[in-house]
Amino acid sequence: MSYLSYKSVRNAHFAAVLVLAVVLIIGQPVVNGLVSQVILDGFYYPFFHIKKLLTEVATVSTENDQLRAWVAKSSVELSLLEEAARENARLRSILGFEQLPGYRLLPATVVSVTGGQMPISATINRGLDDSVKVQQPVINQVGLVGRIQEVMPGYAKVQLLTDPLNRVAARVASGREMGIVRYLVSEGMVLDNFPNQGIAQPGDTILSSGLGRVYPPGLTVGTVSKVTRPENKPYSEVRLEPAVNFHSLEELFVLMPETP
Amino acid sequence: MRIIPFILYLFLIAMHEVISSDLITVYTAVINLPALAVLLVAIYKSQVVSIWFGFAAGVVMAAGMPDLMGWHALILSALALTAFHVRERLNLDSLCAKLLLILGGVLMHNVLVLIVTRSDEFLYLLWSRALVGGILTSLVAWLFFLFKEGHITYAKMKALF
Repeated sequence: MSYLSYKSVRNAHFAAVLVLAVVLIIGQPVVNGLVSQVILDGFYYPFFHIKKLLTEVATVSTENDQLRAWVAKSSVELSLLEEAARENARLRSILGFEQLPGYRLLPATVVSVTGGQMPISATINRGLDDSVKVQQPVINQVGLVGRIQEVMPGYAKVQLLTDPLNRVAARVASGREMGIVRYLVSEGMVLDNFPNQGIAQPGDTILSSGLGRVYPPGLTVGTVSKVTRPENKPYSEVRLEPAVNFHSLEELFVLMPETP
Repeated sequence: MRIIPFILYLFLIAMHEVISSDLITVYTAVINLPALAVLLVAIYKSQVVSIWFGFAAGVVMAAGMPDLMGWHALILSALALTAFHVRERLNLDSLCAKLLLILGGVLMHNVLVLIVTRSDEFLYLLWSRALVGGILTSLVAWLFFLFKEGHITYAKMKALF
């Protein structure tokens, strides 16, 4: 009897569920809309909120990656633009450079420099293909840099004024006394064979004299930094500050004769 | 009867419908958590509880599609009743028997849902969604039983690593 009672209770529950399900099936949309709204507000809303947050986090992460890539790209572009600005400034100063009569300028770019603490030679990207020849002078927008020492098809080696074996016949711009500029590792750039009677004082500009037929006259070599006149010697000791910064050579010009 | 665990199960179903069902998919098949929860309740609880939980699970599951809410409630209630009677008549001590009941129940639910929703690609969805979804759900049930019956414990996991 009790079993039957238990069974009838179970059946009653199933019958109740069946009735409710039928109500939901035939009662739409009024009943279902209401029930659906209650369920969505009660059970689903917190998870909709969490999903929205997760989606936002995922979006932020993607956006962050895109922004990082954009920053990296912009950083590279900025570096290139800064380099272009520096090059532009250099080229503007070169444009104001007075061209020597009888010569044309062949632009060249320094590929490499060699030497110890002070560079003594540089390789440029011009050579036999550009009709570059040995002994041709090389300058930049500031002054004399050196001369061509070796020539290869696409490259040439420039012997800089800082090479102790390189010498330049020079004179003081304000006086006319001459001497020979050379570079000593211990003392730096000096003007040798300058007579004691000669007029030279710190700040005077030293120009190439044109003697020796390697360098044309009038190229700036440096400025006088110190003058010592020993009493028992015929020549003064004149120290120079080079016009060219040999540590930052980039754009150079080979002086090519107008009539080869 | 304590009602709070069943409410938590319903929250779990809602969470699965909103968040995790989209994350854990194999092709188009998803884990059928409502059917799994109803079957597990039918295995471990009484018939009355199973029937009412099936009804509630169907209503919660179909909250986003009110037109089919009654059908889902009816199907899950019937599934709970069927699973309960199978459990009463068969020996479900072995893990395989329980997994077979789960697989059969989930397959039945998936097929009935396909029939109710009147899918155009019924035959394709029958194997791609119903069958694969049933297998996927059975895998989750297998892990659940391994934990519940103590085959996987924290101590064993710790010993592995």
